[in-house]
Amino acid sequence: MKNRLFSFLGIVFLVFVQGCTPPPPAVTFSVFGDPAELAAYESLVEAFHEQNPQIKVQLQHIPSQSDYRRRLATAFSAGTPPDVMLINYRRFASFAGQGGLEPLDTYIEQSEIINRSDFFPIALSSFEWRERLWCVPQNVSSLVVYYNRDLFDEAGVSYPEDNWRWEDFMRAAQELTQDHDRDGQIDQYGAGIAPNLFRLAPFIWQDGLDIVDDPLQPSRLTLDQPEVLTVFQRFIALQTVDQVVPNANAEAAEPSENRWLNGGLAMYFNSRRGVPTYRTIDSFEWDVVRLPITQDEWIGILHSDAYCLAAAAENKEAAWQFIEFANGVQGQTIVARSGRTVPSRPDVAQSPAFLDGLPPANAQTFIDTVDQLRGVPVMAGWTAIEEITGKEIERAFYGQVSAEEAAAAAIELTAPYFENNQ
Amino acid sequence: MTRGSRHQIGRIARLLAASVIALAFFLPFYWAVVISLRPLGSPPPSTIVWWPSEAQWSNYTAIFSIVPFARYFLNSVRVAAVAVPLTWFFASITGFGLSRLPYRWRRLLVPLMAIMLVIPGVAFWIIRFRVFQFFGLLDTLWALIAPAFMGGNPLFILLFYWTFRRIPQDLYEAARMDGASWWQVWVYIGSPLSRATGAAVVVLAFVKFWSDFTDPVLYIFDTGKYTLPVGLQLIRQLDQTNIPLLMVGAVFMILPVLVVFITMQRVFWRERPTGLFPTRSRARRERI
Amino acid sequence: MSHGNRWRWFSPWYFLFPFLVVSSLLIVWPTLVTAGLAFTDFNAVSAPVWVGLDNFLRLAQSEIVRTGLVNSGIFVALAVPLRTAGALGMALLLRGRERPFGVLRGVVYLPTVIPEAAYALIWLWILNPVYGPLNLLLGAVGLPAINWLTDPVYARLGMVILATFQIGEGFVLLLAARETIAQDVYEAAAIDGADRWRAFRYITMPLLLPWLLLLVGRDLLVSLQNTFAPSFIITYGGPYYATTFVPLLVYEMAFDFLELGMAAALLLFVLLVTGLITLAITDFSVVKE
Repeated sequence: MKNRLFSFLGIVFLVFVQGCTPPPPAVTFSVFGDPAELAAYESLVEAFHEQNPQIKVQLQHIPSQSDYRRRLATAFSAGTPPDVMLINYRRFASFAGQGGLEPLDTYIEQSEIINRSDFFPIALSSFEWRERLWCVPQNVSSLVVYYNRDLFDEAGVSYPEDNWRWEDFMRAAQELTQDHDRDGQIDQYGAGIAPNLFRLAPFIWQDGLDIVDDPLQPSRLTLDQPEVLTVFQRFIALQTVDQVVPNANAEAAEPSENRWLNGGLAMYFNSRRGVPTYRTIDSFEWDVVRLPITQDEWIGILHSDAYCLAAAAENKEAAWQFIEFANGVQGQTIVARSGRTVPSRPDVAQSPAFLDGLPPANAQTFIDTVDQLRGVPVMAGWTAIEEITGKEIERAFYGQVSAEEAAAAAIELTAPYFENNQ
Repeated sequence: MTRGSRHQIGRIARLLAASVIALAFFLPFYWAVVISLRPLGSPPPSTIVWWPSEAQWSNYTAIFSIVPFARYFLNSVRVAAVAVPLTWFFASITGFGLSRLPYRWRRLLVPLMAIMLVIPGVAFWIIRFRVFQFFGLLDTLWALIAPAFMGGNPLFILLFYWTFRRIPQDLYEAARMDGASWWQVWVYIGSPLSRATGAAVVVLAFVKFWSDFTDPVLYIFDTGKYTLPVGLQLIRQLDQTNIPLLMVGAVFMILPVLVVFITMQRVFWRERPTGLFPTRSRARRERI
Repeated sequence: MSHGNRWRWFSPWYFLFPFLVVSSLLIVWPTLVTAGLAFTDFNAVSAPVWVGLDNFLRLAQSEIVRTGLVNSGIFVALAVPLRTAGALGMALLLRGRERPFGVLRGVVYLPTVIPEAAYALIWLWILNPVYGPLNLLLGAVGLPAINWLTDPVYARLGMVILATFQIGEGFVLLLAARETIAQDVYEAAAIDGADRWRAFRYITMPLLLPWLLLLVGRDLLVSLQNTFAPSFIITYGGPYYATTFVPLLVYEMAFDFLELGMAAALLLFVLLVTGLITLAITDFSVVKE
């Protein structure tokens, strides 16, 4: 009888573990993005395999950013994060601060393939924190204004140029906001911008101010300071006063980016990431221009993702070899061809891989402004702060509360995250 | 005569009222199909459309070239094909075993299962990752199938449990007196008498495994092993506002569920679903 | 049944064996660990640090958590009665053996078996304030358009409405329960001169009451949890926290903000509440026997 019991147990167990895989591959590499990006990373891994047949890289691609975060958190919690992963500079501190990531300064110093001097300084420095370099940047995108040339032509407005001012932008936005059939419903909007802290920040900087009290040791948001509040009010006035951007309902009915794609919105604020989709537009001509300047000094906002190495990675050498390759000229060239990113290496950024003659014609502006970009503070709770503040900015933007109320609420609700960081 | 015809009129009125209300349950899916047939990327219509003037059936083939939908579809079919029968089997035997336990154990285990039923999935994600890792199931379709080995969901077990409790105890006793083992009792008595419950569990289990959009992105690494819900996510990344394409994806998710549902519905209603749910003994006496 | 004796040793407990093993691994053990994490500071990366009841104190002070609990409470208060009434109404309307009733029963069950992501996507479209069929339909009959996605009150209402169509399980339960009431009870009542309303009031309702209570209890739990997919896909908790229900909050804490200890504490709180409700329901003899 006992034997039978054991054979029964054995069968249950066998059925359960059937389908075991061979041992995990040497290096796992996690990214997220749309199918076009997936294709770019697939060719990156393929090119790496050609040169390093002894190392197997498994590409783990997760479609949406929220699923990507969920996977990373789960895998880190279980103690087995992917060996190499792409992380934004606004997020890496949460992982680095607790010993989840491997500092890469010694790696890059000893590398024969890549050097610090290969990269735009701002890109590297945004991944430096607590005096270590944590990740190797893949791209240095920035916020630009995409504009529909056909709509500018129709309205007889001259195209924006890279030295344009906020007043020029406002004038264009007002002239391009139109109610064609005069039914009281706006059918064409002058501009579209996501109401959040990340979009608001560069305008605060341009006025010589900051979004936090001390960018290196932030302890609170400064949205409630009178000068900052003025910029905030100017930002929400786009919707509440000037009405050159869609209101809450119009946005819910058809998001700004969709209006832009369908030719119903003249100027759309976005980073480089929109380009692959925008290249499929065939109903109008478009280009990019840098952000309008509000005061004397032009400042843009940095967008950057980097390859990070997990501290728990078993084969760090192999993982580093992949990071080296991905950030070498060949690796960055492959990813740059997707059109989605601005390479973090000046040599690749200036090459035909990036300046490929496809729209936007003014792609050079992404490179020219790199030195004048600024990043948001690097700290562990930043994601939560941005998310919570975004909700406040959004409701002020759509006229549900005043800027003062929204600023006060944002400061109160984000306080615990600054405290935890101390 | 008057009573009969009044009865008849009442019935027809009831049917009419029910039809109107049922229409509201059906309209969302009808609209999904209508929208899925609009030209891809076209601006949304501003008047209500009951049928698109030029139905773009090609949308349903286009989706296969935009994302590897065929592969995802096949993976989903593979998962469901293995997981659904396993779920039926394990839920049935577990429910059967539970129904044969002494009262003091049932009194303990039934509420326990009910509690297991209401634990939110978030609570499992991280540790399941570790468990799957330990058993080498990470990055295999078995990670998606695994819950089938515990009957899929405690609800399925409870459904079987209630059914088996309702079967007259004399039937079991007689079989046992004849020298039948519990296996044989399950095979020859329990299993055939729980066909309606089985049909219901098959439908619910199919929905569970088919529509799972959390587990694949947590436990599957190789994009070649992704299932259909991940495909839907991929389309959303592509262009969040391409409503026709999104609806094509949604229809593809729904169609197989409909097929299973309609097939099983026949068994389900024919076998009278009364056995599905707990019935008080008083009510039972009244029926007999 | 000639092989019967060979398997005589096989007691009912063996049937439970696979379940006990697998559910320990996939349900019990994960839940216990998560419950333990509720008393720690855990950020996914470094080891959890014991902090006692700190997380619960922080939860109690958090305005956002309070908002989430209130939202979930409002949702349950609206959805549960509507869903129960809907299930009862449809069950009473659709009993009958004729074919049309069978087809309609299938239609009513339909929204319940639709994959939730697909269902949420369809409703995202239906609730669109300008192009959505719902507002177009309202416009066609001369009613004003409703801001389903941007007005806090209507955004919540929208969530309730889409949940009100997913009543298949309660519907089948009540349908089955109604079948158990013998026809001669109604006939006797009719002879005594009882009209339809009286028959419903004095026969149907009292006999269905235990099932209705069971249904309400079950719905309290289901409604608490099933808000995740729609609020995640349709509104992402907006406008301004109006549809930030507890499950979305747990998700955001854990995976956006990496505060897994806090998330576990909130989860444990929800679990205790739902556990108590569950025990209360299973205390009805209907469930156990």
